[in-house]
Amino acid sequence: MDIISQLQEQVNTIASLAFNTFGTLQRDSPPVRLSPNYPEPPANPTEDAENFAEQAKLMSAALVKAAKQVDALVAALPLAEGGEEAQLKRIAELQVENDAVGQELQRQLEAAEKELKEVRELFSQAADNCLNLKKPD
Amino acid sequence: MATATYPPPPPYYKLYKDYLQDPKSAPEPPPPIEGTYICYGGNYTTDDILPSLEDQGVRQLYPKGPNIGMPPSVLVLIIYFKKELRSLNRELQLHILELADILVERPSQYARRVEDISLIFKNLHHLLNSLRPHQARATLIHILELQIQRRKQAVEDIKRRREEAQRLLKESIGTLEDTGASFVLK
Repeated sequence: MDIISQLQEQVNTIASLAFNTFGTLQRDSPPVRLSPNYPEPPANPTEDAENFAEQAKLMSAALVKAAKQVDALVAALPLAEGGEEAQLKRIAELQVENDAVGQELQRQLEAAEKELKEVRELFSQAADNCLNLKKPD
Repeated sequence: MATATYPPPPPYYKLYKDYLQDPKSAPEPPPPIEGTYICYGGNYTTDDILPSLEDQGVRQLYPKGPNIGMPPSVLVLIIYFKKELRSLNRELQLHILELADILVERPSQYARRVEDISLIFKNLHHLLNSLRPHQARATLIHILELQIQRRKQAVEDIKRRREEAQRLLKESIGTLEDTGASFVLK
């Protein structure tokens, strides 16, 4: 895939990682005490809490990795500092050169075809001569 | 079971009654549309440039270069693409962190942060899309260079073969002169 599409894909990946992270956090976070008026919430078994902390770490690591990937891709962008006019000028030059080379190719081709015709003619004469079908001039 | 019938065809078909006898008696097809047109409630333009962010009502976060009064297709945006992309990336990360923080402390104020994050994404995508014309021109340059190289190669090949053919002909003339003289004088 070309690099701009890769960058776009990576940006979308960051977006999906972000909302997955927040969704998971919202769904799985353990209840927390909001105000001293209400009693402490029942402490759930710790294995949930461990997994949850693990998951949070993994998800944030994935987010940071994706952001670093975007940075790496941006660094790899082959942006020649020419700007639009420089590119257009180069395209015009290349077109001129392409035309010239094309005409040269055309000339060579025509000369080669002419020689081919002559050789064919000579060959047919020699063959006729060999087979005594008609007298040579 | 109630089903609706299809709508009837437009009544213009009556105008083409004598088309087989006289093709000129029927009206001409409508000319191609220019400018913007509305289709199913959406606005479309016939001009193939990327609409700027302000046109879509989105605030632009990166600076715009000097605008030399030329048509929009030749706008010279002197933006440092890589720098802006990197700083937008960093801002995005900061905003995600801010959203996480504000969900912990003041959860009812998430809306503003979410809006900011979506703004940053829109800017990122717009910047990436504006790189596409540059990429198209670079691809064109690459294709032209390849074509020139192939044509030069073909010219070299043809020259070589012609020289080879001339050499063979001269050789065969020599051979014929040695051995064919007796044949010719029959």
